Amino acid sequence: MTVDAIGTARTGPAPIVSESALPARASALRRLARDSVALIAGSILALFVLASAVAPLVAPYDPYFTNMSKVIQPPSAMHWFGTDNAGRDILSRVIYGTRNTLLIGLAGVVIGGFLGGLLGILAAFYRRIDGVIMRLVDVMLAFPAILIGLAVAAISGAGILAVVTALIIATVPDIARVSRGSAVGVMSQEYMEAGRAIGLSDLALMWRYLTLNCISTIFVFLTLRFGQIILIGSALGFLGMGAQPPTAELGMMAAQGRDFLFMAPHVAVIPSLAIFLIVLAANLFGDALRDVLDPRLQQ
Amino acid sequence: MQHNISRRLAELELSAYHPKNGAQRVGGDGMGRQIIHRLLISLPALLGVLFLCFCLLQVVPADPAIIIAGPDAKKETVEAIRKDLGLDQPIVLQFVNYIGRVAQGDLGRSIISNKKVIEELAYTIGPTVELMVAAMLLAVPVGLLLGTLAAVSRGSILDRIIMAISVAGVSMPVFFIGLLLIQVVGYRWGLLPFTGRAGPVWAGGLPSLILPAVTLGSVLIGPIARITRTAVREVLGADFVRTARAKGLKERVVIMHHALRNALIPVVTLIGLQAAFLLGGAVVTETMFSWPGVGRLAVGAITSSDFPTAQGAIMVLAISFLAINLIVDVIYVYLDPRVQRE
Repeated sequence: MTVDAIGTARTGPAPIVSESALPARASALRRLARDSVALIAGSILALFVLASAVAPLVAPYDPYFTNMSKVIQPPSAMHWFGTDNAGRDILSRVIYGTRNTLLIGLAGVVIGGFLGGLLGILAAFYRRIDGVIMRLVDVMLAFPAILIGLAVAAISGAGILAVVTALIIATVPDIARVSRGSAVGVMSQEYMEAGRAIGLSDLALMWRYLTLNCISTIFVFLTLRFGQIILIGSALGFLGMGAQPPTAELGMMAAQGRDFLFMAPHVAVIPSLAIFLIVLAANLFGDALRDVLDPRLQQ
Repeated sequence: MQHNISRRLAELELSAYHPKNGAQRVGGDGMGRQIIHRLLISLPALLGVLFLCFCLLQVVPADPAIIIAGPDAKKETVEAIRKDLGLDQPIVLQFVNYIGRVAQGDLGRSIISNKKVIEELAYTIGPTVELMVAAMLLAVPVGLLLGTLAAVSRGSILDRIIMAISVAGVSMPVFFIGLLLIQVVGYRWGLLPFTGRAGPVWAGGLPSLILPAVTLGSVLIGPIARITRTAVREVLGADFVRTARAKGLKERVVIMHHALRNALIPVVTLIGLQAAFLLGGAVVTETMFSWPGVGRLAVGAITSSDFPTAQGAIMVLAISFLAINLIVDVIYVYLDPRVQRE
């Protein structure tokens, strides 16, 4: 899906933002609501986001409260998802873990998306620095995200910072390419020249004419990337490069459960399943969002 | 080189249409030039990799000269050792020296085992390559088959099932697949070993390779199936396929020889793009299955703060990523001669 996106994003300029854009967007949302897959995926995603946002209210137990008399219990009425090796309630830990996993992914996507979008738009606007920026982006692409995570963890020690840094660096180059591709198309539009002719400053041109016309493409692409970013983040967590115990993070919880895989598979399987559901819902929802908001990104 | 990927991506649609028979295979000379060109383009990325690894060595918490000289050494002795190690030189010069040492295969010694890092790497590269190749050998045919089936039976139940599997596959964490395989196939059914590597494939190592390879390969099946489906669908609508059908060729021949072959170009591109997933997945898979590869070496070294080993392992992984992309570029030129004509 990344492939199709980069492949076609550079063709065709984005339409100028006009008053008619608002009703168009509203009808896009209506179309989204009629798509049953999008609806289900969106609901699942919303459920995860909501539960993790109000974690202290919905979690039945303290996720860090250990109880050695209730170690590794199977799912029951008292503990829906059972308990882990320290007697902690897995449901509560999954809710808090989802919160951390989502926040880590969101930090990566938002910061990386901002930096990448900025680089792409600067490259398209100032052709003099285009080459330099895109070479920089190429070098960044030479590092797979997991490797960056490993390297940062080696330098600064394992922790959430290492994972977020890796996710940012994993997001920047792709977004820079997509936004540059989209912005180059806008640059060739007549209204850009018109804006310059009426004496608008570079900053105003870049923000009002360029960025606002590219933003939906960037946004849709970020949504499509979100699932992958969560996967990379949780893989780094699984490798022990991310959140450190006792902090709840889904990838790390799966890794901890690995030690009890044979006697109590649920300890590892439940957090893994949560990641799978989040990513699946994000991917399906992203696809649907792209179809209605930015069909040009579709192959 | 990465720059080529983007261009290749932009050409994805076009490239699917070129008729196999009209294409001339690239000759030796042009091919060589292409490879050299690609190598030159990847130089900045290589420098980036080396710089990152150099930085890794700079964070060693203690001054190496003091460690070597011992705690009671005189100041002059420490200074002499610093000079001997080149630590008194400007950082740029140190970096140049570092590149020189790397070029000679000198990556330092492990802090933990005191073995040469290059030797540790020599032991682990084989298993990693073996795992990746096995995963690809599994994922590429299965992905191609599923994608082609889905394209041919467009809109049918089969198409939908295959696409559902592919979306699920794309969304699955590698370690989840691994955990399930270990639990069910390895432990409950007791069918296959799931820790360590019994040896090379030709020396009875095949059983221990199967579960790690299936784990890693399954991550790639989804994307490959997806892009194959799109590519085959496009090619099936192309003129040369209509011609082939009009000639009265059997449908099987049309699909296998005309459609699938041309659809391979975007698939090869995709495999290059998936190299990052392959590599990241290999690190996770190796760690899960105690597979003695470079990825597990890297994770272990980082966990135990063994900086020289971590630096070496990360360098090898990053360089192999560049190498995979280079190989994909070359295959791409071979499959699509139009790239060369540019």
